[in-house]
Amino acid sequence: MVPTSYYVLLSAALFAIGVVGVLTRRNALIVFMSVEMMLNSANLALVAFAQRWQSANGQILVFFVITVAAAEVAVGLALLVTIFRAKRTTDIDEINTLRG
Amino acid sequence: MSDLTWIVVLIPAFPLLGFLLNTFVIRNERQAGLLASAMVALSFVATLASIAVLQSLQVAGAGAEAAAEAKHHIDFVLWEWMTIGTFRVPFGLLFDQLTAVMALLVTGVGGLIHVFSIGYMHGDARPVRYFAYLNLFIVAMLFLIMGDNLLLLFLGWEGVGLCSFLLISHWFDRKSVPPGIVPSEAAVKAFVANRVGDAGMLLAMMAIFASLGTLTFYGQAGGDAGYLERTAEVGRQVVNVGILGQMSILTLITLLMLVGVTGKSAQVPLFVWLPDAMAGPTPVSALIHAATMVTSGVYLIARNHTLFSDLASGTAPWVVGIGVLTALLAASAAVTQWDIKRVLAYSTVSQLGYMVAAVGMGAYVAGMFHLLTHGVFKALLFLGSASIIHGTHETQDMRRMGGLRAKMPTTFWTYMVGALALAGIFPFAGFWSKDEIIAQAFDTGSPLTGIVLIISSLLTAFYMGRQVALVFWGKPRDAHAEHAHESTGGMKIVLIILGVGAIIAGVMNLPGLHWLDSYLHPVLGEEPAPYTIGKGVLAAVVTLLAGASMYGGWYLYARVLEAKIKPGKDDPGFRYAGDIWRGAELAWGFDWFYSRVIVRGYRMLAGFLASVFDQQGIDGILVDGVGRVFGSLASLFRRGQTGYIRNYAWVFFVGVVVLVGYFAFV
Repeated sequence: MVPTSYYVLLSAALFAIGVVGVLTRRNALIVFMSVEMMLNSANLALVAFAQRWQSANGQILVFFVITVAAAEVAVGLALLVTIFRAKRTTDIDEINTLRG
Repeated sequence: MSDLTWIVVLIPAFPLLGFLLNTFVIRNERQAGLLASAMVALSFVATLASIAVLQSLQVAGAGAEAAAEAKHHIDFVLWEWMTIGTFRVPFGLLFDQLTAVMALLVTGVGGLIHVFSIGYMHGDARPVRYFAYLNLFIVAMLFLIMGDNLLLLFLGWEGVGLCSFLLISHWFDRKSVPPGIVPSEAAVKAFVANRVGDAGMLLAMMAIFASLGTLTFYGQAGGDAGYLERTAEVGRQVVNVGILGQMSILTLITLLMLVGVTGKSAQVPLFVWLPDAMAGPTPVSALIHAATMVTSGVYLIARNHTLFSDLASGTAPWVVGIGVLTALLAASAAVTQWDIKRVLAYSTVSQLGYMVAAVGMGAYVAGMFHLLTHGVFKALLFLGSASIIHGTHETQDMRRMGGLRAKMPTTFWTYMVGALALAGIFPFAGFWSKDEIIAQAFDTGSPLTGIVLIISSLLTAFYMGRQVALVFWGKPRDAHAEHAHESTGGMKIVLIILGVGAIIAGVMNLPGLHWLDSYLHPVLGEEPAPYTIGKGVLAAVVTLLAGASMYGGWYLYARVLEAKIKPGKDDPGFRYAGDIWRGAELAWGFDWFYSRVIVRGYRMLAGFLASVFDQQGIDGILVDGVGRVFGSLASLFRRGQTGYIRNYAWVFFVGVVVLVGYFAFV
């Protein structure tokens, strides 16, 4: 039996990698994948605690997160395709039209 | 018979109908003139019918003492105008003896002037509009004299002011009319001067409302008593009026009303608008600025005589003083004028001074008597001058006239009648009314008042002598005067009717008969002054002096100085009297004072407000300043908006960390 704290530590590490990826990478696809990684790290923490407390609540929540993440991916990729068509780039530093 | 009281509604209804038809339907000069005249004539007939109804009420009520007391006037309430708590203003038409004589003058003389206008305004650019305004004026004037409360009176008061404005500026497209007045500016001047007086009227109404809670003159059947019947309640009440100190409420009300009178009736110090009001068409000058509108101040004092003659008010000496001063100043100014209408304008101001002085002395009947006779003969004189102006192709400068006696015989004879009546020569109308005022001055006022009035009367006779000499005698001094032609048709008939009126109007109140005295007695409650031999001598002396003065004026300008009068040159009198003559010509500098001090001061203040206060204060600090504050704040914050997603994500992340940290550890 793997101790729960290992799962939590792994989840935290994955989340931190995701955050760093979002904040530092310039390729929109990588940023996107980093976001997915953060979501999955949260899923990992949820199923770990569900196993720890022998409760189905956490697992059910994971299904919801996966569903929402799938929808988000669909919308996000569509946006990316549109941006690429308009700008011919996926570098998010080039996409700064909101600059004040 | 009492159910016939609705007839009084017809008096203002006819001219109102005429106004509406002329405004919305009629587009033809001839129809407009005929319709307007017919409507005023019908109004005149309705006035006569109303007088008969009033008379029958009198007879019916004579049996029972109490009924006679209650029913000495008709008060026909059309509807409740406004009701605010206990304050009620009915839209009611009052018809009593005082209203009756005023309405006769307004519709009678007014109707004649309408008829005259048909000829005079022939070929004008805007005749329909002219007649519509003329009818509207009659309506407003009738509301003024028929209102049964001060607010309805004020509606008429403002209405006649509006019509005066509209008709003075009838030729608004002309840059200048003789003698160098701009019609639109003259109209604005009249309006503004009247506004000063109207402010006094408004304040007087507020004071009456504050102290008595009602604005109706007399009580209605089953209603509360009017304020004129309740003055005794507040007679000794004292109010504090700031820097002016303490005064009784009656003094305050009557003084404020007096301000209104000086505006509307062209008294010192607000008379300056009336001479300039001559920029309007001459029949308008006859109707509004001589016969009717300007007398409404006299009517106001007569209507409120219980306030003015109450000893607690103490305003009477002021009224007399203003009237006498106006009479003298304006008479002296009239002597020196060249413009035929300006002479008559100053003469009107002077005669209004007589009336105001008379009502100030408590001689209300004498004041009303002079108002009526003056309405007739001054209308005659103005229409006569209109006929002269018409016949000499818009010549108004008397230096360009002369020798019109033979060319315009009807105008000449009727004008002479008017001039003699105005000068107060026996037995013309002005003699009876003016001498009654002078006699009253010696009777009740100080001898000084009487002497000043006699001097003004002599000046009046002198300037009329000068005027007829300049216009009708001598040789024509201008090509237009050379080829003058007599007026035609209706205009001539109107002049003759008014001429007959100016001869016989004195019959109204002959000494000994006192018809007007006894007719107005139910309203004014004034006993006719007893006739004494001293008064007879006084009247004889005054009329002899006036005759001599008029002959002197005529002799000087028709015989002695005739050769020295040339167009564009100063009067010979200027050489002898110099600065005094010039001062009189400028009406003793009232206009100069207003333009130098008030108008210029106002312009400077307006200039300061426009170019400094508005542009730098309002625009600079308030409008632009607020914008600049937000602009600089925005340029501070816009640096945070880089457009890089990373930065937003970073802020987001830090925020989450801070919040989670806050909830987890604090």
